[in-house]
Amino acid sequence: MAALASLENVSLTLTSRAGPVSILRDVSLDVGTGQSLAIVGPSGSGKTSLLMILAGLERATSGRVKVDGHDYAGLDEDARALVRQQSIGIVFQAFHLIPSMTALENVALPMEFASVADPAGRARQLLGDVGLAERTSHYPAELSGGEQQRVALARAVACSPKLLLADEPTGNLDGVTGKAIIDMLFGLQRRTHATLVLVTHDEKLAALCDRTIHMADGRIVADRLRVAA
Amino acid sequence: MSGAQRLTPDATPDPVAPPSPLPLWLRLAWRDLRTGLPSFSVFIGCIALGVMVITGVGALSDALRAGLAKQGRSLLGGDLTFARVHARATEAERARLSSIGALSETATLRTMARTPDGSEQALAELKAIDAAYPLVGAVALDGAPDLATAVMGGDTAAVEPLLLERLGLKVGDQLTIGEAKLTVTAKLTSEPDGIGDRSSFGPRVLVSAATLEKTKLIQPGTLVRWRYAVTVPDAEGSPEALKRAREAFKRDQPESGFTFANRTDPSPQLTRTIERLRQFLTLIGLTSLIVGGVGVANAVSTFIDKRRKVIATMKSLGAPNGLIFRVFLAQILAVTALGILIGLILGYLVPIAAVAAFGAQLPIEPAFSVQPLSVANAVLYGLLVALVFTLWPLGRAERVSPSVLFRDDVSGDATRPAWRIISASVAAGLALVAFTVLSSDAPLVALSFCAAMAVIFAVFAVAGRMVPRLAGRIPRPRVPELALALGGIAAPGGLASSVLLSLGMGLSLLVGVALVDSSLQNELTGRLPEAAPSYFILDVGKSDLAPLSALVEKEAPGSRVDTAPMLRGRLVSLKGVPVERIKTAPEAAWVLTGDRGLSFSAAVPTGSTVVAGDWWPKDYAGEPLVSFEAELAKKLGLSLGDSVTVNVLGRDLTAKISSLREVKWDSLALNFVMVYSPNALQSAPYKLLATIMLPKDTPPAAEVALSKAMGRALPAITPVRVKDAIEQFNVILGKVLTAVRVAGGVTLAAGALVLAGALATAQRRRILDAVILKALGVTRRRILVAHVLEYGLLALVAAVFALGLGSLAAYLVVHYVMSVPFAFSGAAVAQALGVAMALVAAFGGIGTASVLRAPAVPYLKSE
Repeated sequence: MAALASLENVSLTLTSRAGPVSILRDVSLDVGTGQSLAIVGPSGSGKTSLLMILAGLERATSGRVKVDGHDYAGLDEDARALVRQQSIGIVFQAFHLIPSMTALENVALPMEFASVADPAGRARQLLGDVGLAERTSHYPAELSGGEQQRVALARAVACSPKLLLADEPTGNLDGVTGKAIIDMLFGLQRRTHATLVLVTHDEKLAALCDRTIHMADGRIVADRLRVAA
Repeated sequence: MSGAQRLTPDATPDPVAPPSPLPLWLRLAWRDLRTGLPSFSVFIGCIALGVMVITGVGALSDALRAGLAKQGRSLLGGDLTFARVHARATEAERARLSSIGALSETATLRTMARTPDGSEQALAELKAIDAAYPLVGAVALDGAPDLATAVMGGDTAAVEPLLLERLGLKVGDQLTIGEAKLTVTAKLTSEPDGIGDRSSFGPRVLVSAATLEKTKLIQPGTLVRWRYAVTVPDAEGSPEALKRAREAFKRDQPESGFTFANRTDPSPQLTRTIERLRQFLTLIGLTSLIVGGVGVANAVSTFIDKRRKVIATMKSLGAPNGLIFRVFLAQILAVTALGILIGLILGYLVPIAAVAAFGAQLPIEPAFSVQPLSVANAVLYGLLVALVFTLWPLGRAERVSPSVLFRDDVSGDATRPAWRIISASVAAGLALVAFTVLSSDAPLVALSFCAAMAVIFAVFAVAGRMVPRLAGRIPRPRVPELALALGGIAAPGGLASSVLLSLGMGLSLLVGVALVDSSLQNELTGRLPEAAPSYFILDVGKSDLAPLSALVEKEAPGSRVDTAPMLRGRLVSLKGVPVERIKTAPEAAWVLTGDRGLSFSAAVPTGSTVVAGDWWPKDYAGEPLVSFEAELAKKLGLSLGDSVTVNVLGRDLTAKISSLREVKWDSLALNFVMVYSPNALQSAPYKLLATIMLPKDTPPAAEVALSKAMGRALPAITPVRVKDAIEQFNVILGKVLTAVRVAGGVTLAAGALVLAGALATAQRRRILDAVILKALGVTRRRILVAHVLEYGLLALVAAVFALGLGSLAAYLVVHYVMSVPFAFSGAAVAQALGVAMALVAAFGGIGTASVLRAPAVPYLKSE
């Protein structure tokens, strides 16, 4: 399986007021096209940072990051933004919908950035797909947590990304709502043949993925493929 | 798909995408703004307030100028006027004037009006009219059916009510002017050409030309202004035709020496005054706009802080930096436009309010008009100030790190915007300075103002950073409330910077105006020079001098009487160049317009020193020589040997500059810009200007007695009490300073608005602090005391800095611009402190009240 995303000896060190903090240490990883990968590990182990480095939202201190054929090392912030626009969809734990925009506008936004035809029509269709056809004109504050995450899901897949990144997508939701969101996430991934990288604390959720890596103290300490049932 | 091939920043839109009416950045800006507008209320208020002042000042001056132009014909009493001092028009000149159109002649002079028994007297402005007067408009009288009945009957006068009041007279009583005893036939309530034909020295007495003869006031050399109003048929009344008529007259009568005015600008002096006041008050308005700029910058910073996650989300969805900057710039420009629009609307209400409040005191009836130039002026100021103060905080928007989506600050966002934004900020600042300087008639004053603003702003900005550091270094006081107050000042996000920047500039302006005022008052009233005269006496005939000196010696022994010959003349050319073609600095331009007092003297006049060239020898009999005042000569580009031509008594007199003098004007001794060699002027009919210096401690009763004795014995002379003249000047100065204070008050209001915005931003943190203190068992009284101390200390620091800067600015203005000694005033100190305390107490008090009322539980839970 060809790698859609790869990390080669990636380290991330941030500077805090108290001094440098090492977040990732010499991480290497290949994520195959169409694969679903779960990243698990305790808090502070570097899971989310790894995800954000894949998204190009964070710049590695050292090492090489390639996504969909683009080497981030040669790209400035705007060029990385274009990679996200064209190839990556992200689902956040805290949803991060834009509060001043309706559900429809939030979903249409990445398509507008990418100059996709009829962004409003496609956003309406996507909201229908996630069961929110009646809530298109609602603002985030008028939606429940589950509904907000469904809008975020629709937004993440709006531009048919090759790489879908999800950071604790059920972390802010109750069990029932969380399960519905996960079903939707995997359903969308299968339908779009996207590669999925998922950060979670939930071992059951991780078990749904093709592959699981375990992180501790900024390093990958285990990498297991799912055994076919 | 191959992502690498599609990665081009200029990717063209999908060809099947329907054309959108608005570009994406505008659509996004609108979406963000439609729910966020209320958070811009302080922003809008700050811009609107500053633009309102600039618009209001412009609208009022436009209305006054439009009023002048609209009523120009009646204000002038004709389409064209020709005026000169001393010499009445010759027959040839009259004939030439009559050939232009209908003609009316008036003569105006200052004189003393007295009760017949001489018990009361007052300065008056006598105007003699002919039967044709007024050519335009009508004289309003109370007590007589018409002007002819009131004035033309012989030995009668129509008198302004103020003079009747001063003399204790009524219609039907008699008054004496010169050697004539006149019956008051009517109260003069208004005359159409009052503005164009008076110098505002004393109330008006209207008489016929025949009556003027009987007063015997008109003697060779008397300061009388002859004015000829001409009306032309409508068809010949275009401004160009009027100009042609004037030029033709000048060609025919090249040495007539008349000053001209036409109905399109009936009072050039008033037009100039309005324009100067407009420019000056615009600068004050700009101050309030700049103070408001602090609020604007704070509002944008808060706005961007609140939008950090939105910005990061947009970035995570692929928005490039440039797009984000455009989205937020569009919002700021839209909000600025709203603020400007509100400011324009409110500004255009200012003239209406001014007329409602002071309509009776305005010199002319304003005609409301919207002048595109004035609107553009206010819009440009509003826009430039908004850009200067918003580009920097806006530039931080694109520097927001997307990592804020998943992590609290570790390294934080970049605090400095990109270089292109910094460059744009600097360019906007330079454009603001350039516009301020270029739109002013006094570029140096405008540039000094900009420099002063920059310095004051920088001082308060630095103080705003230093005060918290200093507060943090002070050893923790034992009094817990004081420790809390100092802690509050030292804390990140404390109020020191906001309080200092918001109040500092307004307070500095207030202190500056108060100290300029006190210095001028001190100079004019308290510090009159020891050698200052008590009286100036106009129109003293050569034969009057001996009786005058004798009378003064009798009534006030020990007094000194000084005299100098005086004629009035108009500058015609300098170095052979006609004055109309000479462009000079505004502070010297007054010399070139209107009549100037001229004198001649064999010796250097008292109070002046020759600084270049030589004084003429005694009995000099060569070509006419003139000694020019050195400072004005420099401003007019004149030096030794240059020729100066003046028109005196309808005759051009050219003289060579043989010396330059430094004159101590503030000694109030007799002095003139131009003093001639005696042979140049002594054969002309002239009168003397005299000063009387009374002995020290002369009782007021003796002064009054002298004044009355002079009136009885020498009815043709006009004594002007120096104290009265200064009082009159004080009234005018008071009005100007009131206008400055009102405009400066708006600066403080802008500061208050900025302060309110800053306090509102800090309110949540302050509530949280208070809630935690409450949870720790601190009483509300102690929290209140801590807040009072914190606000009090900040207000004190703001007032102290404002006192320092305001005093420095006032010193520079009074010392270098007005050449007056600086006088400090305790009242100004008290005023600055009082206003600072009151504003901070008012706004801080409102905030503290809600801090103390806030219930603890919701805040603790939400955190």
